[in-house]
Amino acid sequence: MIGRAPAASARSGATFTVRDVLRALPQFHEHHAVVAWWQARTGTLFAHFTPERRRMLLSVGGLGVLAGMVARALRKADGAGASVWPAVTVFVVVLAALYGCYLAAERFKSLPSVVQRRPQVALHLGFWGMLAVVWMLPRDGGAWAAAPVAMAMLLPFYLWRCGYLLKSGQRGRAAGTRFVDHLFYLSPVYGGTDTPVGKGFDHLVRHEAHSGEALARAQLAGVKLLLLALLWRIAEQVLAGVVYGDPKSPVTRLVGGYGAHLPRLEHLLAEQPHVPVLVAWGSLYLELVREVLDHAARGHVIVGMLRLLGFNVFRNTYKPLLAESVVDFWNRYYYYFKELLVDFFFYPTFARRFRRWPRMRIVTATFAAAFLGNMYYHSLAQDQLLLRGALWPALAVLRSRTFYCFLLAVGISVSMLREQRRRGTASAPGGLRRAGRIACVWTFFAIIHIWNVGGTASFARRTRFFASLFGLA
Amino acid sequence: MTAGPVSGAADRERRREDLLRFLATIQRPGRVLATLEDDNGLVASGLIDSLAVLQIVVHLEETYGIDFAACGIESEELRSVSSILDLVDREAPAAR
Repeated sequence: MIGRAPAASARSGATFTVRDVLRALPQFHEHHAVVAWWQARTGTLFAHFTPERRRMLLSVGGLGVLAGMVARALRKADGAGASVWPAVTVFVVVLAALYGCYLAAERFKSLPSVVQRRPQVALHLGFWGMLAVVWMLPRDGGAWAAAPVAMAMLLPFYLWRCGYLLKSGQRGRAAGTRFVDHLFYLSPVYGGTDTPVGKGFDHLVRHEAHSGEALARAQLAGVKLLLLALLWRIAEQVLAGVVYGDPKSPVTRLVGGYGAHLPRLEHLLAEQPHVPVLVAWGSLYLELVREVLDHAARGHVIVGMLRLLGFNVFRNTYKPLLAESVVDFWNRYYYYFKELLVDFFFYPTFARRFRRWPRMRIVTATFAAAFLGNMYYHSLAQDQLLLRGALWPALAVLRSRTFYCFLLAVGISVSMLREQRRRGTASAPGGLRRAGRIACVWTFFAIIHIWNVGGTASFARRTRFFASLFGLA
Repeated sequence: MTAGPVSGAADRERRREDLLRFLATIQRPGRVLATLEDDNGLVASGLIDSLAVLQIVVHLEETYGIDFAACGIESEELRSVSSILDLVDREAPAAR
Protein backbone atom coordinates (compact mmCIF):
# COMPACT_ATOMS: atom_id res chain seq x y z
CA MET A 1 0.00 0.00 0.00
CA ILE A 2 1.32 3.42 -0.88
CA GLY A 3 0.78 6.54 1.14
CA ARG A 4 -2.31 5.53 3.03
CA ALA A 5 -2.01 5.14 6.74
CA PRO A 6 -4.78 4.14 9.06
CA ALA A 7 -6.58 7.10 10.53
CA ALA A 8 -5.37 8.13 13.92
CA SER A 9 -7.85 7.11 16.52
CA ALA A 10 -9.60 10.09 17.97
CA ARG A 11 -9.60 10.32 21.73
CA SER A 12 -12.04 12.50 23.50
CA GLY A 13 -11.75 13.54 27.07
CA ALA A 14 -8.81 11.23 27.73
CA THR A 15 -5.41 12.28 29.00
CA PHE A 16 -2.56 12.06 26.54
CA THR A 17 0.77 10.52 27.43
CA VAL A 18 4.03 11.45 25.69
CA ARG A 19 3.85 8.04 24.02
CA ASP A 20 0.37 8.82 22.67
CA VAL A 21 1.59 12.10 21.24
CA LEU A 22 4.65 10.50 19.65
CA ARG A 23 2.49 7.80 18.11
CA ALA A 24 -0.08 10.28 16.79
CA LEU A 25 2.48 12.81 15.51
CA PRO A 26 3.25 11.11 12.17
CA GLN A 27 -0.50 10.90 11.49
CA PHE A 28 -1.24 14.52 12.48
CA HIS A 29 -2.79 15.17 9.07
CA GLU A 30 -5.51 12.57 9.74
CA HIS A 31 -6.52 13.90 13.15
CA HIS A 32 -9.99 15.46 13.07
CA ALA A 33 -8.98 18.35 15.37
CA VAL A 34 -6.01 19.26 13.17
CA VAL A 35 -8.15 18.99 10.01
CA ALA A 36 -10.81 21.23 11.60
CA TRP A 37 -8.13 23.74 12.70
CA TRP A 38 -6.62 23.87 9.19
CA GLN A 39 -10.04 24.17 7.58
CA ALA A 40 -11.00 27.03 9.91
CA ARG A 41 -7.88 28.97 8.96
CA THR A 42 -7.73 28.27 5.24
CA GLY A 43 -11.34 27.41 4.36
CA THR A 44 -12.38 30.99 3.52
CA LEU A 45 -9.35 31.46 1.31
CA PHE A 46 -9.89 28.23 -0.62
CA ALA A 47 -13.72 28.39 -0.71
CA HIS A 48 -13.55 30.23 -4.04
CA PHE A 49 -11.21 27.66 -5.55
CA THR A 50 -13.66 24.99 -6.67
CA PRO A 51 -12.14 21.95 -8.41
CA GLU A 52 -13.07 23.47 -11.80
CA ARG A 53 -11.40 26.78 -10.96
CA ARG A 54 -8.36 25.02 -9.55
CA ARG A 55 -7.96 23.06 -12.80
CA MET A 56 -8.36 26.30 -14.78
CA LEU A 57 -5.67 28.09 -12.76
CA LEU A 58 -3.36 25.09 -12.94
CA SER A 59 -3.83 24.99 -16.71
CA VAL A 60 -2.85 28.66 -17.00
CA GLY A 61 0.25 27.82 -14.94
CA GLY A 62 0.79 24.85 -17.27
CA LEU A 63 1.06 27.24 -20.23
CA GLY A 64 3.89 29.01 -18.39
CA VAL A 65 5.58 25.66 -17.76
CA LEU A 66 5.29 24.81 -21.46
CA ALA A 67 6.81 28.19 -22.42
CA GLY A 68 9.76 27.55 -20.11
CA MET A 69 10.29 24.05 -21.48
CA VAL A 70 10.19 25.34 -25.07
CA ALA A 71 12.81 27.99 -24.27
CA ARG A 72 15.10 25.38 -22.66
CA ALA A 73 14.63 22.89 -25.51
CA LEU A 74 15.45 25.54 -28.12
CA ARG A 75 18.61 26.54 -26.27
CA LYS A 76 19.61 22.88 -26.15
CA ALA A 77 18.67 22.35 -29.81
CA ASP A 78 21.38 24.82 -30.73
CA GLY A 79 21.11 28.15 -32.47
CA ALA A 80 17.61 29.35 -31.65
CA GLY A 81 18.20 30.90 -28.27
CA ALA A 82 18.00 34.48 -29.45
CA SER A 83 15.01 34.18 -31.78
CA VAL A 84 11.45 34.73 -30.57
CA TRP A 85 9.45 33.45 -33.54
CA PRO A 86 10.82 29.87 -33.57
CA ALA A 87 10.01 29.72 -29.84
CA VAL A 88 6.45 30.98 -30.43
CA THR A 89 6.04 28.47 -33.26
CA VAL A 90 7.22 25.54 -31.15
CA PHE A 91 4.95 26.65 -28.29
CA VAL A 92 1.91 26.85 -30.58
CA VAL A 93 2.66 23.56 -32.37
CA VAL A 94 3.19 21.61 -29.10
CA LEU A 95 0.04 23.14 -27.61
CA ALA A 96 -1.85 22.27 -30.81
CA ALA A 97 -0.52 18.70 -30.60
CA LEU A 98 -1.75 18.44 -26.99
CA TYR A 99 -5.12 19.85 -28.04
CA GLY A 100 -5.26 17.36 -30.92
CA CYS A 101 -4.59 14.57 -28.44
CA TYR A 102 -7.38 15.89 -26.22
CA LEU A 103 -9.78 16.00 -29.19
CA ALA A 104 -8.82 12.42 -30.09
CA ALA A 105 -9.62 11.31 -26.54
CA GLU A 106 -12.80 13.36 -26.24
CA ARG A 107 -14.15 12.06 -29.59
CA PHE A 108 -12.56 8.65 -29.30
CA LYS A 109 -15.50 6.82 -30.91
CA SER A 110 -15.09 8.83 -34.09
CA LEU A 111 -11.44 7.86 -34.57
CA PRO A 112 -10.51 5.32 -37.29
CA SER A 113 -11.13 1.80 -35.99
CA VAL A 114 -7.45 0.86 -36.24
CA VAL A 115 -6.56 3.76 -33.90
CA GLN A 116 -9.42 2.85 -31.56
CA ARG A 117 -8.04 -0.67 -31.26
CA ARG A 118 -4.43 0.41 -30.66
CA PRO A 119 -4.37 4.06 -29.52
CA GLN A 120 -1.01 3.74 -27.75
CA VAL A 121 0.66 2.20 -30.79
CA ALA A 122 -0.76 5.02 -32.93
CA LEU A 123 0.58 7.61 -30.46
CA HIS A 124 4.08 6.14 -30.46
CA LEU A 125 4.08 5.75 -34.26
CA GLY A 126 3.26 9.46 -34.41
CA PHE A 127 6.24 10.18 -32.16
CA TRP A 128 8.61 8.09 -34.30
CA GLY A 129 7.17 9.72 -37.42
CA MET A 130 8.08 13.10 -35.95
CA LEU A 131 11.59 11.83 -35.23
CA ALA A 132 11.90 10.56 -38.82
CA VAL A 133 11.05 14.07 -40.09
CA VAL A 134 13.78 15.52 -37.85
CA TRP A 135 16.32 12.98 -39.21
CA MET A 136 15.63 14.20 -42.75
CA LEU A 137 16.14 17.89 -41.96
CA PRO A 138 19.50 19.60 -42.57
CA ARG A 139 21.49 19.92 -39.33
CA ASP A 140 22.81 23.44 -39.97
CA GLY A 141 19.66 25.25 -40.96
CA GLY A 142 19.85 27.93 -38.27
CA ALA A 143 17.14 28.94 -35.83
CA TRP A 144 14.19 27.55 -37.80
CA ALA A 145 15.82 24.13 -38.28
CA ALA A 146 16.18 23.93 -34.50
CA ALA A 147 12.42 24.28 -34.04
CA PRO A 148 11.43 20.71 -35.06
CA VAL A 149 14.43 19.38 -33.13
CA ALA A 150 13.21 21.20 -30.00
CA MET A 151 9.72 19.81 -30.58
CA ALA A 152 11.06 16.26 -30.84
CA MET A 153 13.07 16.83 -27.64
CA LEU A 154 9.94 17.85 -25.78
CA LEU A 155 7.80 14.95 -26.94
CA PRO A 156 9.02 12.21 -24.52
CA PHE A 157 7.81 14.42 -21.65
CA TYR A 158 4.28 14.50 -23.10
CA LEU A 159 4.22 11.01 -24.60
CA TRP A 160 3.15 9.06 -21.52
CA ARG A 161 0.85 11.84 -20.32
CA CYS A 162 -0.91 11.79 -23.69
CA GLY A 163 -0.96 7.99 -23.36
CA TYR A 164 -3.00 8.29 -20.16
CA LEU A 165 -5.27 10.84 -21.87
CA LEU A 166 -5.96 8.38 -24.72
CA LYS A 167 -6.62 5.63 -22.18
CA SER A 168 -9.27 7.89 -20.61
CA GLY A 169 -10.70 8.43 -24.08
CA GLN A 170 -10.72 4.69 -24.76
CA ARG A 171 -12.81 4.19 -21.60
CA GLY A 172 -15.19 6.98 -22.57
CA ARG A 173 -14.18 9.08 -19.57
CA ALA A 174 -12.82 12.00 -21.60
CA ALA A 175 -16.15 12.56 -23.37
CA GLY A 176 -17.71 15.85 -22.32
CA THR A 177 -14.55 17.12 -20.60
CA ARG A 178 -12.83 20.43 -21.38
CA PHE A 179 -9.24 20.94 -22.55
CA VAL A 180 -8.41 22.62 -19.21
CA ASP A 181 -9.50 19.40 -17.45
CA HIS A 182 -6.44 17.79 -19.05
CA LEU A 183 -3.91 20.55 -19.68
CA PHE A 184 -3.10 20.84 -15.96
CA TYR A 185 -1.55 17.34 -15.87
CA LEU A 186 -0.24 17.34 -19.45
CA SER A 187 1.89 20.38 -18.55
CA PRO A 188 2.13 20.15 -14.77
CA VAL A 189 3.08 23.12 -12.60
CA TYR A 190 3.89 20.67 -9.80
CA GLY A 191 6.88 19.40 -11.73
CA GLY A 192 7.98 15.95 -12.72
CA THR A 193 9.98 13.96 -15.20
CA ASP A 194 8.85 12.00 -18.27
CA THR A 195 6.98 9.82 -15.74
CA PRO A 196 3.58 11.37 -15.00
CA VAL A 197 3.37 11.54 -11.21
CA GLY A 198 -0.33 11.30 -10.33
CA LYS A 199 -0.89 9.34 -13.57
CA GLY A 200 -3.62 10.84 -15.75
CA PHE A 201 -7.12 12.21 -15.71
CA ASP A 202 -8.93 9.14 -14.29
CA HIS A 203 -6.57 8.72 -11.35
CA LEU A 204 -6.31 12.43 -10.51
CA VAL A 205 -10.06 13.01 -10.65
CA ARG A 206 -10.68 10.01 -8.41
CA HIS A 207 -8.41 11.58 -5.78
CA GLU A 208 -9.52 15.19 -6.25
CA ALA A 209 -10.91 16.98 -3.18
CA HIS A 210 -14.52 18.04 -3.66
CA SER A 211 -15.28 19.43 -0.22
CA GLY A 212 -13.61 21.82 2.19
CA GLU A 213 -12.77 19.00 4.58
CA ALA A 214 -11.32 16.78 1.82
CA LEU A 215 -9.21 19.71 0.60
CA ALA A 216 -7.95 20.34 4.14
CA ARG A 217 -7.03 16.64 4.51
CA ALA A 218 -5.25 16.64 1.15
CA GLN A 219 -3.33 19.80 1.99
CA LEU A 220 -2.27 18.53 5.41
CA ALA A 221 -1.12 15.29 3.80
CA GLY A 222 0.83 17.49 1.37
CA VAL A 223 2.42 19.47 4.21
CA LYS A 224 3.45 16.18 5.82
CA LEU A 225 5.12 15.00 2.61
CA LEU A 226 6.97 18.30 2.17
CA LEU A 227 8.23 18.03 5.77
CA LEU A 228 9.33 14.45 5.07
CA ALA A 229 11.11 15.62 1.92
CA LEU A 230 13.01 18.17 4.03
CA LEU A 231 13.87 15.48 6.57
CA TRP A 232 15.21 13.13 3.89
CA ARG A 233 17.29 15.96 2.38
CA ILE A 234 18.82 16.59 5.81
CA ALA A 235 19.47 12.85 6.20
CA GLU A 236 21.15 12.88 2.79
CA GLN A 237 23.40 15.74 3.87
CA VAL A 238 24.29 13.87 7.08
CA LEU A 239 25.16 10.81 4.98
CA ALA A 240 27.23 12.96 2.63
CA GLY A 241 29.11 14.62 5.51
CA VAL A 242 29.51 11.85 8.07
CA VAL A 243 29.92 8.83 5.76
CA TYR A 244 31.32 10.16 2.48
CA GLY A 245 33.10 13.29 3.77
CA ASP A 246 31.72 15.17 0.77
CA PRO A 247 33.36 18.65 0.75
CA LYS A 248 30.16 20.14 -0.69
CA SER A 249 28.09 19.05 2.30
CA PRO A 250 27.73 21.57 5.15
CA VAL A 251 27.74 18.61 7.56
CA THR A 252 31.35 17.85 6.57
CA ARG A 253 32.35 21.27 7.91
CA LEU A 254 30.21 20.76 11.00
CA VAL A 255 31.99 17.52 11.91
CA GLY A 256 35.34 19.09 11.09
CA GLY A 257 36.05 16.63 8.30
CA TYR A 258 36.07 13.66 10.69
CA GLY A 259 33.74 11.56 8.53
CA ALA A 260 34.25 7.91 7.62
CA HIS A 261 35.32 8.98 4.09
CA LEU A 262 33.80 5.90 2.51
CA PRO A 263 34.00 6.08 -1.31
CA ARG A 264 30.80 6.53 -3.31
CA LEU A 265 29.88 3.57 -5.52
CA GLU A 266 30.16 5.75 -8.62
CA HIS A 267 33.77 6.58 -7.64
CA LEU A 268 34.59 2.91 -7.03
CA LEU A 269 33.23 1.97 -10.45
CA ALA A 270 34.97 4.78 -12.31
CA GLU A 271 38.42 4.56 -10.74
CA GLN A 272 38.49 1.03 -9.35
CA PRO A 273 40.74 1.83 -6.38
CA HIS A 274 41.84 -1.12 -4.26
CA VAL A 275 39.59 -1.08 -1.24
CA PRO A 276 38.85 -3.84 1.28
CA VAL A 277 35.87 -6.02 0.31
CA LEU A 278 33.95 -4.85 3.37
CA VAL A 279 34.34 -1.22 2.31
CA ALA A 280 33.08 -2.11 -1.19
CA TRP A 281 30.03 -3.84 0.28
CA GLY A 282 29.46 -0.87 2.60
CA SER A 283 29.54 1.53 -0.34
CA LEU A 284 27.13 -0.70 -2.22
CA TYR A 285 24.49 -0.77 0.52
CA LEU A 286 24.91 2.91 1.38
CA GLU A 287 24.43 3.84 -2.28
CA LEU A 288 21.06 2.09 -2.14
CA VAL A 289 20.12 4.04 0.99
CA ARG A 290 21.31 7.33 -0.54
CA GLU A 291 19.42 6.61 -3.76
CA VAL A 292 16.20 5.87 -1.88
CA LEU A 293 16.54 9.04 0.23
CA ASP A 294 17.16 11.18 -2.85
CA HIS A 295 14.34 9.55 -4.76
CA ALA A 296 11.88 9.85 -1.89
CA ALA A 297 12.73 13.53 -1.34
CA ARG A 298 12.17 14.37 -5.02
CA GLY A 299 8.93 12.42 -5.25
CA HIS A 300 7.59 13.82 -1.97
CA VAL A 301 7.99 17.38 -3.24
CA ILE A 302 5.98 16.64 -6.40
CA VAL A 303 3.26 14.62 -4.64
CA GLY A 304 3.26 17.14 -1.76
CA MET A 305 2.56 19.93 -4.25
CA LEU A 306 -0.18 17.85 -5.89
CA ARG A 307 -1.82 17.31 -2.50
CA LEU A 308 -1.61 21.02 -1.64
CA LEU A 309 -3.42 21.62 -4.91
CA GLY A 310 -6.20 19.26 -3.86
CA PHE A 311 -5.21 15.91 -5.38
CA ASN A 312 -4.70 13.46 -2.53
CA VAL A 313 -2.81 10.88 -4.60
CA PHE A 314 -0.50 8.10 -3.41
CA ARG A 315 3.10 8.76 -2.56
CA ASN A 316 5.74 8.05 -5.18
CA THR A 317 7.95 6.33 -2.59
CA TYR A 318 6.67 4.52 0.48
CA LYS A 319 9.22 2.88 2.81
CA PRO A 320 10.92 0.68 0.19
CA LEU A 321 13.75 -0.17 2.57
CA LEU A 322 11.22 -2.07 4.71
CA ALA A 323 10.01 -4.21 1.80
CA GLU A 324 10.21 -7.95 2.40
CA SER A 325 10.14 -9.06 -1.22
CA VAL A 326 11.64 -7.83 -4.48
CA VAL A 327 8.23 -7.15 -6.00
CA ASP A 328 7.15 -5.24 -2.88
CA PHE A 329 10.28 -3.05 -3.07
CA TRP A 330 9.59 -2.34 -6.75
CA ASN A 331 6.03 -1.37 -5.88
CA ARG A 332 7.13 1.00 -3.12
CA TYR A 333 10.27 2.54 -4.63
CA TYR A 334 9.03 4.42 -7.69
CA TYR A 335 5.27 3.92 -7.71
CA TYR A 336 4.34 6.05 -10.72
CA PHE A 337 7.06 4.62 -12.96
CA LYS A 338 5.98 1.13 -11.93
CA GLU A 339 2.37 2.09 -12.71
CA LEU A 340 3.44 3.43 -16.12
CA LEU A 341 5.14 0.13 -16.93
CA VAL A 342 2.15 -1.85 -15.62
CA ASP A 343 -0.46 0.23 -17.47
CA PHE A 344 1.32 0.44 -20.82
CA PHE A 345 3.28 -2.83 -20.95
CA PHE A 346 2.36 -5.37 -18.27
CA TYR A 347 -1.45 -5.35 -18.53
CA PRO A 348 -1.61 -5.33 -22.36
CA THR A 349 0.77 -8.31 -22.47
CA PHE A 350 -0.95 -10.13 -19.60
CA ALA A 351 -4.33 -9.69 -21.33
CA ARG A 352 -3.15 -11.11 -24.66
CA ARG A 353 -0.31 -13.58 -24.21
CA PHE A 354 -0.13 -17.13 -22.80
CA ARG A 355 -3.57 -17.12 -21.21
CA ARG A 356 -3.49 -20.89 -20.78
CA TRP A 357 -0.08 -20.95 -19.08
CA PRO A 358 -0.37 -18.91 -15.84
CA ARG A 359 3.32 -18.83 -14.94
CA MET A 360 4.46 -18.10 -18.48
CA ARG A 361 1.79 -15.40 -18.60
CA ILE A 362 3.20 -13.62 -15.55
CA VAL A 363 6.84 -13.97 -16.60
CA THR A 364 6.16 -12.72 -20.15
CA ALA A 365 4.16 -9.73 -18.90
CA THR A 366 6.86 -8.93 -16.32
CA PHE A 367 9.59 -9.00 -18.97
CA ALA A 368 7.44 -6.85 -21.27
CA ALA A 369 7.22 -4.24 -18.47
CA ALA A 370 10.41 -4.41 -16.38
CA PHE A 371 12.73 -5.21 -19.30
CA LEU A 372 11.30 -4.06 -22.65
CA GLY A 373 9.16 -1.21 -21.34
CA ASN A 374 11.88 -0.02 -19.00
CA MET A 375 14.46 -0.04 -21.83
CA TYR A 376 12.10 1.67 -24.26
CA TYR A 377 11.32 4.41 -21.73
CA HIS A 378 14.99 5.09 -21.06
CA SER A 379 15.99 4.91 -24.72
CA LEU A 380 13.60 7.82 -25.34
CA ALA A 381 15.57 9.83 -22.79
CA GLN A 382 18.68 9.59 -25.02
CA ASP A 383 17.31 12.54 -26.96
CA GLN A 384 20.55 13.80 -28.49
CA LEU A 385 21.34 10.42 -30.02
CA LEU A 386 17.76 9.75 -31.09
CA LEU A 387 17.52 13.15 -32.77
CA ARG A 388 20.59 12.33 -34.86
CA GLY A 389 19.03 9.01 -35.82
CA ALA A 390 21.88 7.23 -34.03
CA LEU A 391 19.72 4.36 -32.80
CA TRP A 392 22.51 1.83 -32.34
CA PRO A 393 24.77 4.20 -30.32
CA ALA A 394 21.69 5.09 -28.23
CA LEU A 395 21.26 1.41 -27.38
CA ALA A 396 25.00 0.94 -26.85
CA VAL A 397 24.96 3.73 -24.22
CA LEU A 398 22.29 1.70 -22.43
CA ARG A 399 24.28 -1.56 -22.42
CA SER A 400 24.73 -1.59 -18.64
CA ARG A 401 21.15 -0.55 -18.15
CA THR A 402 20.01 -3.40 -20.41
CA PHE A 403 21.67 -5.85 -18.08
CA TYR A 404 20.18 -4.06 -15.05
CA CYS A 405 16.69 -4.29 -16.58
CA PHE A 406 17.22 -7.97 -17.38
CA LEU A 407 18.22 -8.74 -13.76
CA LEU A 408 15.32 -6.62 -12.51
CA ALA A 409 12.84 -8.52 -14.68
CA VAL A 410 14.24 -11.88 -13.53
CA GLY A 411 14.09 -10.78 -9.87
CA ILE A 412 10.54 -9.46 -10.11
CA SER A 413 9.35 -12.55 -12.03
CA VAL A 414 10.77 -14.94 -9.43
CA SER A 415 9.41 -12.80 -6.60
CA MET A 416 5.94 -12.61 -8.18
CA LEU A 417 5.77 -16.37 -8.73
CA ARG A 418 6.85 -16.94 -5.11
CA GLU A 419 4.26 -14.49 -3.81
CA GLN A 420 1.56 -16.10 -5.95
CA ARG A 421 2.48 -19.55 -4.60
CA ARG A 422 2.33 -18.52 -0.95
CA ARG A 423 -0.77 -16.34 -1.25
CA GLY A 424 -3.02 -16.43 1.80
CA THR A 425 -0.27 -17.57 4.15
CA ALA A 426 1.39 -15.14 6.49
CA SER A 427 5.16 -14.60 6.32
CA ALA A 428 7.19 -16.55 8.85
CA PRO A 429 6.98 -14.63 12.14
CA GLY A 430 9.90 -13.25 14.10
CA GLY A 431 11.96 -10.09 13.95
CA LEU A 432 15.11 -11.90 12.84
CA ARG A 433 13.36 -13.65 9.95
CA ARG A 434 11.83 -10.37 8.86
CA ALA A 435 15.24 -8.68 9.06
CA GLY A 436 16.62 -11.54 6.94
CA ARG A 437 13.98 -11.03 4.27
CA ILE A 438 14.63 -7.28 4.22
CA ALA A 439 18.39 -7.87 3.99
CA CYS A 440 17.87 -10.16 0.96
CA VAL A 441 15.86 -7.44 -0.78
CA TRP A 442 18.52 -4.81 0.02
CA THR A 443 21.23 -7.10 -1.32
CA PHE A 444 19.39 -7.81 -4.56
CA PHE A 445 18.71 -4.15 -5.35
CA ALA A 446 22.13 -2.96 -4.15
CA ILE A 447 23.84 -5.48 -6.45
CA ILE A 448 21.77 -4.87 -9.58
CA HIS A 449 22.26 -1.13 -9.02
CA ILE A 450 25.92 -1.66 -9.98
CA TRP A 451 24.74 -1.69 -13.62
CA ASN A 452 22.32 1.20 -13.14
CA VAL A 453 24.22 3.80 -11.12
CA GLY A 454 25.22 6.93 -13.07
CA GLY A 455 28.70 7.65 -14.30
CA THR A 456 30.88 6.70 -17.23
CA ALA A 457 32.03 3.25 -16.06
CA SER A 458 31.80 0.65 -18.80
CA PHE A 459 29.81 -2.57 -18.56
CA ALA A 460 33.06 -4.54 -18.16
CA ARG A 461 34.23 -2.34 -15.27
CA ARG A 462 30.94 -2.71 -13.49
CA THR A 463 31.05 -6.46 -13.95
CA ARG A 464 34.66 -6.60 -12.63
CA PHE A 465 33.55 -4.65 -9.56
CA PHE A 466 30.74 -7.15 -9.01
CA ALA A 467 33.26 -10.02 -9.17
CA SER A 468 35.55 -8.17 -6.74
CA LEU A 469 32.79 -8.21 -4.12
CA PHE A 470 33.33 -11.96 -3.91
CA GLY A 471 37.11 -11.77 -4.12
CA LEU A 472 37.09 -12.87 -7.77
CA ALA A 473 38.80 -9.89 -9.38
CA MET B 1 -40.56 -4.54 -18.37
CA THR B 2 -40.55 -4.02 -14.62
CA ALA B 3 -38.78 -7.32 -13.96
CA GLY B 4 -35.59 -6.09 -15.70
CA PRO B 5 -34.13 -3.80 -13.02
CA VAL B 6 -35.16 -6.14 -10.19
CA SER B 7 -33.57 -9.09 -11.94
CA GLY B 8 -30.49 -6.96 -12.73
CA ALA B 9 -30.14 -5.94 -9.08
CA ALA B 10 -30.48 -9.56 -7.96
CA ASP B 11 -27.85 -10.66 -10.49
CA ARG B 12 -25.50 -7.94 -9.33
CA GLU B 13 -26.00 -8.97 -5.68
CA ARG B 14 -25.28 -12.59 -6.61
CA ARG B 15 -22.12 -11.55 -8.45
CA ARG B 16 -21.13 -9.40 -5.49
CA GLU B 17 -21.40 -12.36 -3.13
CA ASP B 18 -19.42 -14.50 -5.54
CA LEU B 19 -16.72 -11.81 -5.76
CA LEU B 20 -16.52 -11.47 -1.96
CA ARG B 21 -16.14 -15.27 -1.64
CA PHE B 22 -13.32 -15.13 -4.17
CA LEU B 23 -11.64 -12.16 -2.44
CA ALA B 24 -11.66 -14.16 0.79
CA THR B 25 -9.44 -16.76 -0.91
CA ILE B 26 -6.81 -14.24 -2.05
CA GLN B 27 -6.87 -11.65 0.71
CA ARG B 28 -3.91 -10.92 2.95
CA PRO B 29 -3.94 -12.87 6.19
CA GLY B 30 -5.31 -11.00 9.18
CA ARG B 31 -7.45 -8.54 7.21
CA VAL B 32 -11.20 -8.31 7.81
CA LEU B 33 -13.16 -8.50 4.58
CA ALA B 34 -16.50 -7.90 6.32
CA THR B 35 -15.63 -4.27 7.16
CA LEU B 36 -14.79 -3.42 3.57
CA GLU B 37 -17.28 -1.14 1.85
CA ASP B 38 -18.01 -1.69 -1.83
CA ASP B 39 -16.33 1.55 -2.86
CA ASN B 40 -13.16 1.06 -0.78
CA GLY B 41 -9.96 0.46 -2.72
CA LEU B 42 -9.01 -3.22 -2.41
CA VAL B 43 -5.27 -2.56 -2.63
CA ALA B 44 -5.39 0.85 -0.90
CA SER B 45 -7.25 -0.64 2.08
CA GLY B 46 -4.58 -3.33 2.38
CA LEU B 47 -7.03 -6.20 1.84
CA ILE B 48 -5.06 -7.52 -1.14
CA ASP B 49 -1.70 -6.69 -2.66
CA SER B 50 -1.31 -5.43 -6.19
CA LEU B 51 -0.36 -8.93 -7.40
CA ALA B 52 -3.72 -10.31 -6.33
CA VAL B 53 -5.30 -8.00 -8.91
CA LEU B 54 -3.98 -10.43 -11.53
CA GLN B 55 -5.86 -13.24 -9.84
CA ILE B 56 -9.02 -11.15 -10.00
CA VAL B 57 -8.43 -10.75 -13.75
CA VAL B 58 -8.08 -14.53 -14.16
CA HIS B 59 -11.17 -15.08 -12.00
CA LEU B 60 -13.23 -12.70 -14.14
CA GLU B 61 -11.98 -14.36 -17.33
CA GLU B 62 -12.85 -17.83 -16.08
CA THR B 63 -16.13 -17.04 -14.31
CA TYR B 64 -17.71 -14.45 -16.60
CA GLY B 65 -15.84 -15.01 -19.85
CA ILE B 66 -14.59 -11.43 -19.96
CA ASP B 67 -12.17 -11.00 -22.85
CA PHE B 68 -9.52 -8.63 -21.51
CA ALA B 69 -7.61 -8.93 -24.78
CA ALA B 70 -10.49 -7.02 -26.34
CA CYS B 71 -11.45 -4.59 -23.57
CA GLY B 72 -8.02 -4.14 -21.95
CA ILE B 73 -7.09 -4.27 -18.28
CA GLU B 74 -7.57 -0.98 -16.47
CA SER B 75 -6.39 -0.72 -12.86
CA GLU B 76 -9.08 1.86 -12.01
CA GLU B 77 -11.75 -0.68 -12.99
CA LEU B 78 -10.30 -3.28 -10.65
CA ARG B 79 -9.80 -1.04 -7.64
CA SER B 80 -12.96 -1.79 -5.65
CA VAL B 81 -15.84 -4.25 -5.40
CA SER B 82 -18.26 -1.78 -7.02
CA SER B 83 -15.91 -0.92 -9.90
CA ILE B 84 -15.32 -4.64 -10.58
CA LEU B 85 -19.08 -5.26 -10.60
CA ASP B 86 -19.51 -2.35 -13.04
CA LEU B 87 -16.87 -3.94 -15.24
CA VAL B 88 -18.67 -7.30 -15.14
CA ASP B 89 -22.01 -5.60 -15.92
CA ARG B 90 -20.46 -3.95 -18.95
CA GLU B 91 -18.12 -6.61 -20.32
CA ALA B 92 -19.34 -10.06 -19.30
CA PRO B 93 -21.22 -11.73 -22.19
CA ALA B 94 -23.61 -13.42 -19.73
CA ALA B 95 -24.34 -10.18 -17.88
CA ARG B 96 -25.27 -8.11 -20.93
